[in-house]
Amino acid sequence: MDDILKAVAIYIMMYEMNNFSVFSDVIDIKYEKKEIGVPAFSIYSRPHFKINEDDFFLDIKNIARYRVQNGQQVSICPYEDADEESVNLFLEGSVLGALLHQRGIIPFHGSSFSYKDRGIIICGHSGAGKSSVTAAFCQEGATFINDDITPVTVAGSKTTILPVKTRIKLWDDALQKLKIEAGNLQRIRPGMDKFYLPMEKKTDSEHNLSHIFILSTHNKNEYRATEPEGMGKYNALRKQIYRRIYLKGMPETEKKYFGKMFLLANKVKVTYILRPQICDIQETMRFIGNEIES
Amino acid sequence: MKNIVWLASYPKSGNTWFRMFLANYQKDTENPVSLEEIESTSISSNAVDFEEQIGLNPFELFPDEVDLYRPDLYYIQSKEAEKKGGISYKKTHDAYTLNRKGEPLFPANISKGVVYFVRNPLDVCVSYANHSAKKIEKTLDFILDENSSLAGKKGGQLRQILMSWKSHVQSWKNQSVIPIHFVRYEDMLQEPVETFGEIVRFLGFECNEERLRRAIINSDFKNLQRMEQEQGFREKMQLCEQFFWKGKIGNFREYLSEEQVQRIVEYNYDTMKEFGYIDTDGRLTV
Repeated sequence: MDDILKAVAIYIMMYEMNNFSVFSDVIDIKYEKKEIGVPAFSIYSRPHFKINEDDFFLDIKNIARYRVQNGQQVSICPYEDADEESVNLFLEGSVLGALLHQRGIIPFHGSSFSYKDRGIIICGHSGAGKSSVTAAFCQEGATFINDDITPVTVAGSKTTILPVKTRIKLWDDALQKLKIEAGNLQRIRPGMDKFYLPMEKKTDSEHNLSHIFILSTHNKNEYRATEPEGMGKYNALRKQIYRRIYLKGMPETEKKYFGKMFLLANKVKVTYILRPQICDIQETMRFIGNEIES
Repeated sequence: MKNIVWLASYPKSGNTWFRMFLANYQKDTENPVSLEEIESTSISSNAVDFEEQIGLNPFELFPDEVDLYRPDLYYIQSKEAEKKGGISYKKTHDAYTLNRKGEPLFPANISKGVVYFVRNPLDVCVSYANHSAKKIEKTLDFILDENSSLAGKKGGQLRQILMSWKSHVQSWKNQSVIPIHFVRYEDMLQEPVETFGEIVRFLGFECNEERLRRAIINSDFKNLQRMEQEQGFREKMQLCEQFFWKGKIGNFREYLSEEQVQRIVEYNYDTMKEFGYIDTDGRLTV
C-alpha cells in the first residue's frame, strides 16, 4: 500500500469522523509506519487484541495493527502490502466499536434509520440481513442513519441514535434483489463481493430511538414476531452490544452500561423477528414495517 | 486443559443422532430429551460464536483468514468449559487441517479426544442429497472432490474444508495428537448396545447397561423422526423436508445408478475396504 494512499485513507477517515457531532471534539487519527506500541497492561487479552479501560490494541494479521487510547487517539500501523480498503474496513468496524466503548457510548450491532419519525435499529448477527432490510426501508423513503454499528446515548429519559456512517455494505445478491447496479460501487475489500452503497445523508442530526428489532433466521417458511419482557428484554438488548467481548477488559464501562441498558429497556420497544432463511428482502421489510406501526 | 471432545464426521453420518444419544445418556431421564437439548453440543463452525468470542466479523475476512483465529476460538471455549467444570462436546464436519500458520484448527492441548463417525459413502451421498435439497449427481461430484468445502460465504456457518469422503476420513485417521475412536454408522444401527457402550467407555463415562439401553431407546431414529415432525428441528435446512430422513443401511440401492455406485467405489476403494464396506473379494458388503 502506497504511503500517499494511506495518508489519503486516514484523511478521509478523519473527515468522516469529524463530520459527525459525536466526534466533534476532534479525534486524532495517526498513521504510523513502524510501531504503535501495545497497552502497558491489559485486563483482557487474546493473541490478537489487548484491552484495558482506556487503551485498546488490535492486530489483524496482514492488514494492520490499530490502537485506540482515551477515546481520543487512533493509531494505525498497516502491514506491508496491506490494501487501503481492508485497513479502512476494520477501522470503521471493530476499531470504531472500541472508540465508542471508550467514550461510554453504547454501540449496538445494528443498522438504523428513521421511518415515519421513529428511530429504528435492526440488530442481529452478521449475515442476519440488517443492512439489506435497512437499504430496502431507505428505498421506501426512510432516512438512513447507520449501517452495522449504531451508537446510542441514554441521558435522563432521552434515548438518542447518533449518526456515524454514510454508506451501507451490501453483498452482490442483496444489491441485485434491491435492483441496484453494483458496477460502479466500491468493494469493501479487493476480491470480496460486498460493496459500499453510498447513502444520501438528509441530516446528520440525532434521532430519538423508538424501536429495536432483533433479526434472525429459522428454517420455517413464515415470519414470527415476539416481544421479550422484564429481564428478558434487558438481556436481549445486552446481547446486541457491538463487540461485547471488549467489555471483558473494560469493567468500569460495563458497569456504566448496566444502568443505561435498564433505562433503555424501559424506554424502547424491542421485538424479535424470525425470518425464513430464504426469503424476499421487501417481504421482510413489509413485515417489520407492520410491526413498527402496530 | 484437555476438555473438548470433537464429534467429527462427514455430513449425514450419524453425528446428530449420536448427540441425541449423548444428551439422553447424560440426562438419564425416563422420557426422551427434546431435540433442543443438543444445542449445547453446538457445531465448531458456528459463526455467531466466532464473532462474539474473537470480535471480528467472519464474513468480512476470507475463509483462510478466519482459520487463523479458529484455534484461539477453541482455547476460549475450553476455558469456558473449564470454568463450568465440565467437558465440551463439539460437533464438526471439518476435515483435520492446518491453517496458513501451520497450526491445526483443533489444538491438541485442549482436546480430550475425537469420536469419528464413518458411514458408507454410497448412503452418505443419497442422504446428503436429500439434506441439502440437491441433485444426486451434484452431491456425488461433491463427495469425490478434493476441494469440497461447506459454507463460509455470506452468512450461516464458517467455511469448513471437507475434501472428498476418503480424504476426510484419512485426515482424522492420520493425525496422531488427539486420541480417536472410530464408529461405523452401520454398527450404531445394527449393534447399538456394543457400539454406543464402546463410545461411552472411550469418553470415560461409567457404563451402566440399563442407562445405556434407555438412552439408546430414547434416541431411537423413529423417536427422532416423530419429535422432528411434532416440534421441528433447528438444524434442518429450509428446503430440506426432513432432517431425520430414512436412517437406513443400503438406501443407496433405491437412488443410485450402477454407474454412480461404480464412481464412488472406484474413487474411495481403499478406505471403503478399510472400514468394511467392501469385503476381501472386492464386493460391497451392504
